[in-house]
Amino acid sequence: MAIKTSKREKKVTWEEFVPDIVAFACNWCSYAGADTAGVNRIQHSPNFRIIRTMCSGRVTPAYVLKALKLGADGVLVSGCHFGDCHYIFGNYEAVKQFEKTKALVKTLGLDEKRVRLEWVSAAEGGRWADVINEFVGQITALGPSPLNHKPKSGK
Amino acid sequence: MLDAGRHPYIDVLTNSELTGLGGHAGNFRATVRRNPRYVSEDLCTGCGQCADDCPVVVPNEFEVGMGARKAIYQPFAQAVPNTYIIDSDNCLNDNFLVCNNCVRSCDRNAIDFDDVGREIELDIGSVIVATGFDVYDTSALPSYGYGLYDNVLTNMELERVLNATGPTRGHIIRPSDHKVPKTLAFIQCVGSRGEGKEAGCQYCSRFCCMNAVKDCLLVKQHEPDIEKILVFYIDLRAAGKGFEEFYQRSTEMPELEYIRGRPSKILEDPKTKDPIIFYENGETGQVSKVRVDLAVLSAGAVASESNVKLAAALGIDLDENGFFKIETRYGSPLHTTKDGVYVCGCAAGINDISDSVTQGSGAAAQAERHVAKFRVKEEPQEIKELDISGPPRVGVFICHCGINIAGVLDIESLKEDAAALPDVVYVEDNLFLCSDEGQRLIQEQIAEQNLNRVVGVACTPRTHEPIFRESCELVGLNPYLFEMVNVRDQCSWVHTAEPENAGQKAGDLIRMGVAKARKLQPLYRKSIPVTQSVLVIGGGVAGMCAALELEAQGVKVFLSEKEGRLGGRLNSLTKVYPADLSAFELARTIVKKINTSRVEAIASTEINSITGYVGNFDVSSTCGNFRVGSIILATGAEIYNPDGEFGYGEYENVITNQELEDILHDSKGEIKIGGRTPETVVFIQCIGSRNAGKNPGCSRFCCPTTIKQAIRLRESGVNVAVFHRDMRTVGAKAEEHYRHARALGVKFIRYTPERLPKVMGNGKRAETVEILELALNRTLEISTDHVILASGMVPNEQSTAKLQDLLKVPRGSDGFFMERHAKLGPVETTIEGVFLAGCASGPRDIADSIAQGCAAAAKAAVILSGDTVDLEPITCIVDKTLCRACGQCVEICQYHAPSLTEVAPGLSAAQINPALCKGCGTCASWCPTGAIAALHFTDEQIDSMMEALLTVGT
Repeated sequence: MAIKTSKREKKVTWEEFVPDIVAFACNWCSYAGADTAGVNRIQHSPNFRIIRTMCSGRVTPAYVLKALKLGADGVLVSGCHFGDCHYIFGNYEAVKQFEKTKALVKTLGLDEKRVRLEWVSAAEGGRWADVINEFVGQITALGPSPLNHKPKSGK
Repeated sequence: MLDAGRHPYIDVLTNSELTGLGGHAGNFRATVRRNPRYVSEDLCTGCGQCADDCPVVVPNEFEVGMGARKAIYQPFAQAVPNTYIIDSDNCLNDNFLVCNNCVRSCDRNAIDFDDVGREIELDIGSVIVATGFDVYDTSALPSYGYGLYDNVLTNMELERVLNATGPTRGHIIRPSDHKVPKTLAFIQCVGSRGEGKEAGCQYCSRFCCMNAVKDCLLVKQHEPDIEKILVFYIDLRAAGKGFEEFYQRSTEMPELEYIRGRPSKILEDPKTKDPIIFYENGETGQVSKVRVDLAVLSAGAVASESNVKLAAALGIDLDENGFFKIETRYGSPLHTTKDGVYVCGCAAGINDISDSVTQGSGAAAQAERHVAKFRVKEEPQEIKELDISGPPRVGVFICHCGINIAGVLDIESLKEDAAALPDVVYVEDNLFLCSDEGQRLIQEQIAEQNLNRVVGVACTPRTHEPIFRESCELVGLNPYLFEMVNVRDQCSWVHTAEPENAGQKAGDLIRMGVAKARKLQPLYRKSIPVTQSVLVIGGGVAGMCAALELEAQGVKVFLSEKEGRLGGRLNSLTKVYPADLSAFELARTIVKKINTSRVEAIASTEINSITGYVGNFDVSSTCGNFRVGSIILATGAEIYNPDGEFGYGEYENVITNQELEDILHDSKGEIKIGGRTPETVVFIQCIGSRNAGKNPGCSRFCCPTTIKQAIRLRESGVNVAVFHRDMRTVGAKAEEHYRHARALGVKFIRYTPERLPKVMGNGKRAETVEILELALNRTLEISTDHVILASGMVPNEQSTAKLQDLLKVPRGSDGFFMERHAKLGPVETTIEGVFLAGCASGPRDIADSIAQGCAAAAKAAVILSGDTVDLEPITCIVDKTLCRACGQCVEICQYHAPSLTEVAPGLSAAQINPALCKGCGTCASWCPTGAIAALHFTDEQIDSMMEALLTVGT
């Protein structure tokens, strides 16, 4: 069977760089905010892929590092605004986790701007789009991650 | 909204009006007119294609006219049901030449112009009126120029402007030139607290002060370069839990200035279109004007116009303001003038969100009285579970959602890619996967292809996952073996113009979804038996009302009271405002009801220990041990002891509000304080409240109490002066009472916290009170017979600390118990099965305490409505072999689900109680050994998604 892959197949040059971004979004606020962006048809950059977790507090440094290790150019963690967390203080734990993540990213010699923590509520579709556009822009400006060993040959 | 729309026992009848109500409480027959929608709720999927093709553009009511909508539209983004509606006033199909664009664009043939609506009859037990309010029409006040001047907005318009999904996407611009305003002014009490004919309503609309404070902070957040925000106000009424603290925080903002005074008029500079505000500063007496870029009128609330029609249909009365009239006999804010018809929220007067939510639950408890005996018990269906052993066999189902997905994404290519993924044995697409036909397709293929994992590629799991899960469950596939991939809301809808990139993204998302599906494990909902009884701790008015509501529903209730008799604070009050209801009579009626009911009231009781969790709490008290399914904390609060302040304790004629209440309680006719009839009495407000150091919160009840007492004293000929910071008239009719007190000649004089009034005396008696009159800028010395200190409310340190320790219910910085959510969960706690009522969570008056008691009862009744409670299986579990009992999880969890237990002699490990765990997975992220797994979101599952995304070839 002919196998097509949705990945780009030719060698990536600086000019053509389209970043791979993993976005961890909490079920109650940020994932819902991304849905709201959809309902309101707020167009934004497609260069990110959401992984849903129940709470932003679930996102360990290990997840972020794993994504970077696998070649992600940027990782976004997004949860509820303070006081809005479905689990009361899960987002405060996310902040603590994220501080560790940032320190580890730096230790690894990567630019800490490749990881970001944001708060987007279920109603803030527009804000979700803004956050995504801004982060995609920032990662594009940074260029491919040194761990992003493209080109990937496909199968 | 979504929860209500999806609930199996809630039928949402939108676009409908109640036209008649016959019968009596417990057995009503309601006639409901369902107005034509012209779009079938069964067929419409909310795709929005019709609105794209509709040629008619009209102002959007939801955006207060600042945005546009089509003649076929969805009222707002998250509307329930997710169905479009045709606005027949603007639709072109009323013309001689019909347009029919929407009919042509709808793939589902959902549009039906022959719809004439219909009338339905409902057999019901009770009715709850929750019709809300209308916003005051500010154009009725010509002096403020709303509608004449471009740059005068209302608070509702500003709310939409500030909203990220609003017409300007959260950017603040002024209408005349679309520039970002540098200076902004809020004008409070527009249409509220009016004097004279032109000025709108006499009452206080309650929400506008906090709304303005919040908007000031939001404006600053959106536009950090704002130079000046002015708030013109009469009294800043921050009277709710945490409100005063919030207001104080706003005063720290250097750009924000609060000016006491109600502007007389607004004029516009015709060149720049800047509004110019004319005002008198109430503190300095200076008359001046100020030019701003944008003026915002804080419009108040008025009764909904439709109330008249609805009241006639229901056969109930309206009050003089057009709100639904409260039957004050019960002291409760929930009863209308007809038994079986209840009211909540702003339908009977203005309330903020948290009080409206409380009243909503309270009204539900009242309504349940009439229908509890008809409660349905579901018979569990026996379905044989499919054998899912063996390697994963994944079926991928791709939805077109009409053209919502298929119009952007290339379904054939996605199918081809999906078929090539590991373990995928079946791929199919469908026009509408959520339709009956689509769901049947999935069910048939599960059987035919022996699928043991299903991936639905469609819209968002937040709305549609339950439908798919249920379909899987009905044919014996564990519902947690279903995984949803969102390619509509988060892909085709937001990357419409770049189909190629959207296609790549969708392909990636499907790969990730399949990767996770391969790792999914079946999960089972556990159910635990529920003990059919409730413990109410505290025999005050909130506790007694909670107990009575539950008893009326046939629940066994234990009502424990540490004092010797029931009644709490109600026992020491004279009259309950606003109805002038005798507190003594009210207390006697309620206590009598308790005594003749099956409520087991246990006075003089201390609770010693409580163990267990929702459904089964084991309680040990000085009156024996028992087991209950749920607990309501109605422990009340204490009056602040002002020892040493304003001469209290030093002078015998300085007493508190509460002590005066006792005196008024005992006096018939002539009032004697300390044996003599007073000539002059001075009240001092905010004692032990709004005190930045110790008690920062507003106690809420003291202003109306003072007004009530001042009126009583004034009516018997006493000269009364009230020294206050802001008169906060919380509660129904309190503003009217305040007005009445002023008309009677009670003097209200303002003081500031920088310059407190001074009580001066001679020997054992206070003789004069000194206060700086701000407008005159002169110190007044008022000689007085008595000084009354309006003491606020503080938590009872001993009993709250003890219960916090026993139940692990957290307390806020103010010492009161903390609710689960300040707005949306005012009577719930973070501990499942434990609820709050009355002053346990903050200062409240009698009416609000009764509403809280009823609300807590309704919440407890939910737990007791079945013989068992089902536990959500998405929880965390501990691998005991990996756990080294460090206790991190125990520390982090807000729900106290993990605990350390001895698993072998000398060896401890964490254990997570599935009844308490909410499945957030935060403990799993902190566990240093990886012993905790967050089910359905395990490390393995999330890793597999990342690998599928970032490593080609898996």
